[in-house]
Amino acid sequence: MGTTASQLGKDLLSEYQELTFLTKQEILLAHKRFSELLTKDEKDVPNVRVPMERILTLPELKSNPFRKRICLVFSTSEHKDGSLTFEDFLDLLSAFSDSATMEIKSHYAFRIFDFDDDGTLDCDDLQQLVNCLTGETEDTRLTQDEMRQLISNILEESDIDKDGTVNLSEFQHVISRSPDFISSFKIVL
Amino acid sequence: LHRNLLTPNSYEDERVESDDPEEMFQNIQHQKEIIANIRTRPWPMRRKLKVLKQAREIVLKYEGRLTRTRGYQTAGADLLKKLSRLLYNIVVLFIPWEVRIKKIESHFGSGVASYFIFLRWLFGINIVLTILTGAFIVLPELLAGAPFGTTRSKTIPKEHMASAQDLDTIWSLGGYLQYSVLFYGYYGSVRKIGTAGYRLPLAYFLVGMAVFAYSFIILLRKMAKNSRLSLASASDENFTFCWRVFCAWDYLIGNPEAAESKGAAIVNNIREAICEEQEKKKETSLAVLISLRILANILVLLSLAGSIYIIYFVVDRSQKLEQEKPELTLWEKNEVSVVVSLITMIAPSAFELVAQLEMYHPRTSLRFQLARFLVLYLGNLYSLIIALLDKVNIMSSAVIATILDTANTTRSSMTPMALSNLTTVFEKNKQDQCWETYVGQEMLKLSIIDMIFTVASILLIDFIRGLVVRYLSDCCCWDLESKFPEYGEFKIAENVLHLIYNQGMIWMGAFFSPCLPAFNVMKLIGLMYLRSWAVLTCNVPHQQVFRASRSNNFYLAMLLFMLFLCMLPTIFAIVRYRPSQHCGPFSGQEKIYDIISDTVETDFPLWFGKVMSYVTSPIVVLPAVLLLFMLIYYLQAIARSLKFTNNQLRMQLQTERTEDKKKVFQLAAGTLLLSADQTTEQQESDVTSHEASIQTPSPRRNGNVTNFQSPVRRGNSIRTISQSASRSELNHSGVPGTSRSPSVSSATTLKMLLFHTQNQIESIVVYSPSPRYSDPSEPVYRKTIHTLHPVERIITAQGCVGRRGHTTRYVIVNEHEPRKHLLRSATRIPRHYLMEEPAEIVELYPRNIKRYTARAIHHQPHLHREEEEEEQGPSSRRRMPLGKSLRPKSLSDLHQPAHFYIGERAESHCSMAKGPYEAHEEEEEEGEMDWGELDQCQPQAKARGAEQVLVRTRRYVPSAGRHSASPSRGRHVEAHVKPKVKQKLETPLTESDSASVASSSDQQNSSVDQYIQVIHNKDRYLKADTRHGKLAKKKSKTSCDPNVTEVNDLVCSNV
Repeated sequence: MGTTASQLGKDLLSEYQELTFLTKQEILLAHKRFSELLTKDEKDVPNVRVPMERILTLPELKSNPFRKRICLVFSTSEHKDGSLTFEDFLDLLSAFSDSATMEIKSHYAFRIFDFDDDGTLDCDDLQQLVNCLTGETEDTRLTQDEMRQLISNILEESDIDKDGTVNLSEFQHVISRSPDFISSFKIVL
Repeated sequence: LHRNLLTPNSYEDERVESDDPEEMFQNIQHQKEIIANIRTRPWPMRRKLKVLKQAREIVLKYEGRLTRTRGYQTAGADLLKKLSRLLYNIVVLFIPWEVRIKKIESHFGSGVASYFIFLRWLFGINIVLTILTGAFIVLPELLAGAPFGTTRSKTIPKEHMASAQDLDTIWSLGGYLQYSVLFYGYYGSVRKIGTAGYRLPLAYFLVGMAVFAYSFIILLRKMAKNSRLSLASASDENFTFCWRVFCAWDYLIGNPEAAESKGAAIVNNIREAICEEQEKKKETSLAVLISLRILANILVLLSLAGSIYIIYFVVDRSQKLEQEKPELTLWEKNEVSVVVSLITMIAPSAFELVAQLEMYHPRTSLRFQLARFLVLYLGNLYSLIIALLDKVNIMSSAVIATILDTANTTRSSMTPMALSNLTTVFEKNKQDQCWETYVGQEMLKLSIIDMIFTVASILLIDFIRGLVVRYLSDCCCWDLESKFPEYGEFKIAENVLHLIYNQGMIWMGAFFSPCLPAFNVMKLIGLMYLRSWAVLTCNVPHQQVFRASRSNNFYLAMLLFMLFLCMLPTIFAIVRYRPSQHCGPFSGQEKIYDIISDTVETDFPLWFGKVMSYVTSPIVVLPAVLLLFMLIYYLQAIARSLKFTNNQLRMQLQTERTEDKKKVFQLAAGTLLLSADQTTEQQESDVTSHEASIQTPSPRRNGNVTNFQSPVRRGNSIRTISQSASRSELNHSGVPGTSRSPSVSSATTLKMLLFHTQNQIESIVVYSPSPRYSDPSEPVYRKTIHTLHPVERIITAQGCVGRRGHTTRYVIVNEHEPRKHLLRSATRIPRHYLMEEPAEIVELYPRNIKRYTARAIHHQPHLHREEEEEEQGPSSRRRMPLGKSLRPKSLSDLHQPAHFYIGERAESHCSMAKGPYEAHEEEEEEGEMDWGELDQCQPQAKARGAEQVLVRTRRYVPSAGRHSASPSRGRHVEAHVKPKVKQKLETPLTESDSASVASSSDQQNSSVDQYIQVIHNKDRYLKADTRHGKLAKKKSKTSCDPNVTEVNDLVCSNV
């Protein structure tokens, strides 16, 4: 614990506490877990990026159907390869932490679901989203009819302005009324 | 409201140079706010760090210049914050089982974890109950009460002495345990004990009541908190599909097995919803189904009745045995509790089998199950307690009979031999008759046996089965893991119900056995460890789970129900039965509650007794009850009316949405027609027009679009018209990339503002607290923002409420502050919001009416695209109605026709100037500089009060002046374009400006109309825009504080 603390630096640590919803212990734990992902020679490099593949080996993310999206959304990489720096990683954990606000959570949820990054959830996004949830295998996958029905139902419920897409505020409206969202949109290391 | 609109200013604030300490202080405060709220922003860490650093620098830089006291204040606040953070860190460490629960949560999701959280919560309650009873009853009795063996109620009778230490006696809570602080009978009835004169009997009674009171309060508070957290129960909106998709995944699940079953559950869930939608009713052999269900219910009822009968029978039998046999076997002593525990173990499984007969939907069947379990548990507890009380009845009547008998015999035959004989009988009875102890014993016994059964069931049913399944599956002919024995499922609902049942026992017995809560604490600790171990090693999560938070209140409601029902027998016993005459703190009293009146009489002054007698007399009690009823009725009525208005608002929203859409299409057509002769019109008309050729025509100017003003429009309809201003040239050519950041950030702010507005409206409609809003699109779309011209992203959000037939108009800025706004025409002027994908919003204004325009950009990429399209021609534009229509905030506004306007400043400015736009772009850089100052001024103005604000807002008049298409317009434009930005508060221009604006509008307006304007005095259009945006932003910020807003944001000039 002591060594990780010194590695991270006191100022930085307190800044991270300021900037995230994480406690000191959680940040230190995150740092530990993140360091475990690094290879030997990467350890000394500041601001090193861990590629998405390695991030996804974390058991917390491994079975998440949206794992790739999560990485992509939180990555600040120029190449959009989903690689994460430690700070990105902290951002991720902060958004998924217990004390993060509904706004933050729903905002990121929206972006995770927005597969084409165009700022709205359109039919394609929804389709991909449902496919992610159901998995791609034949028996679990929804049929075309089911999919159409489902998407039209979703839009009927959430698309208040009837433009055929769900935008962020509509999404947040829906999400904020869900009793489960806040408690399930969490990742704990 | 969250002050999320502030942060991006930090860039500009850096440039603020001011010697005014007040201003400086405001600035620092502002920066602090940024620092405080930065974590709620969805930005990448790098950016947050940067902003934080900047804000801190500013604070550091300026703080030194402030007075010392302020410095100390801030230092103190800093310290406090650090301390609180430290404290929080420590507190987190001390939450029991946090790590364990987190681990379970991350394996099995929030559903399973909710059981443990519930357990932990119950544990907390029991700790408090333990402290209550321990500190106020048990400890005083131990310390100051008569020691063991001194009084008759504290000595073990001689004939029991021999067996008092036997294991089976101890086991059945007899012997030494019976005569210990564990039970009611041990406590002395001396009014005051110890040197301090502790009133133990009174304390006993009060603590007994406090246990219930505390449980009630804590339960209700928790429930209220929960229901506040989840608005879902309040609103009847139905988002079944959305929730099933958007909120389906439990991100906590990290265990592949759990993930798999979760995935399967989600698929089922979605399929199920689709099926339900497709065919609402399935008509498969209804008769069979109904008969099956009837059969199932009969079975359940039978088993319920059977269990109740068995319990009653067992209690009866144990009583008879006790009377007949002097020595009871271990089985006979524990028969009752073993039977009860067995029933609670076995019956649920039986119910489950029965439920399969019914073929209900899993969800419904789960509900049925839970209801049945609850009834079963309650039935068990009730039949037990009723049987016990029955026994108590018989006991006391038997005692009386004996006494009478004794008396008779004594009278008739006065032989000393018989007398001594009788006294022994008498004495024996005296000690045996302590029915409170007996009830306490039974409850404690039940609790212990229940614990043993739970442990056994976990070990046998879960662990052994898990072992068998895992290790024997290879050498078995079928797949053990997926077919018959499987792994034990963790049935959350059942387990939670069991916890509730357990707690019910505690509540029921706590009065008679003060140590029961303490025992329960230990039991819960054990349960926690055992269960969590079992879950982690040998359970799979139940597929049909009540999700965590939704179930929370459900569980709590059941717990409350349980508490209430468990309290009843205790209260009944206290009120109905005479306390035992020779044991317990209330011995010798007629009723247990006599202790209160006793105390009031002897220990309080006389007047208190009088007051009490008045208060408890029907004269006071009856009206109080009546008042309560009235209150309840009143609240109910309010709730009903709120619901009604809610529905109405929603209906209105829907109708208007459709109307909006129609208008938007008409508008689109109008635009097409008009775009050709726009240039000429622009110059001729006084109305503010939009730059370039791609504008939405203002209705006044073009009669074509008259439908906008049609008086037929419903009053409170809210319109947005988005104008896709082709500002692409501006966007692309103007600013060098480096200098952009401030404007970008401000742009986003304003974008947010609009978002924010929408959100508020939304929340107003549904009566939920307005959701805080955070910068929606910044991080994702950062890149695209750079390509855009920042300044145009500025939004001014203003609303306008026009009232038909009245000359007074209200402008509502940000839907919060009513503003009077001059409208020329007596008819309501409908404003339309049209949202394109990029959600640029523009308002159509009739001539001579001030325009407050706003642009909201939802998503830059789209905007960008749109703009390019616009360059090619307006016809290609796609318009969409704005997502949410704006609404008056309060119900009282409803009767007024209300319009909300969101106007676009930038456009109007550009159009006013009629100059080449390139010029503005060049000026932009400077504009950014000014902007900062303005921003900084704003809070100051706030602080200084309404007068200042008034002046401040007047500073913005020029731009408004330009808007109003009065003849004087040109003059103003001249005036304001030229002067350099002087950031003094009172510019000479302002007065004249507002005056001119007023007069200009006066010409065409009825004189009663009133203005409220928020106006820029910035010279550059673009800059002015920005500033205006800032202003609006500020306002939206201040709108959190209703007190401030009124003064802050209203500028009123009577015309």
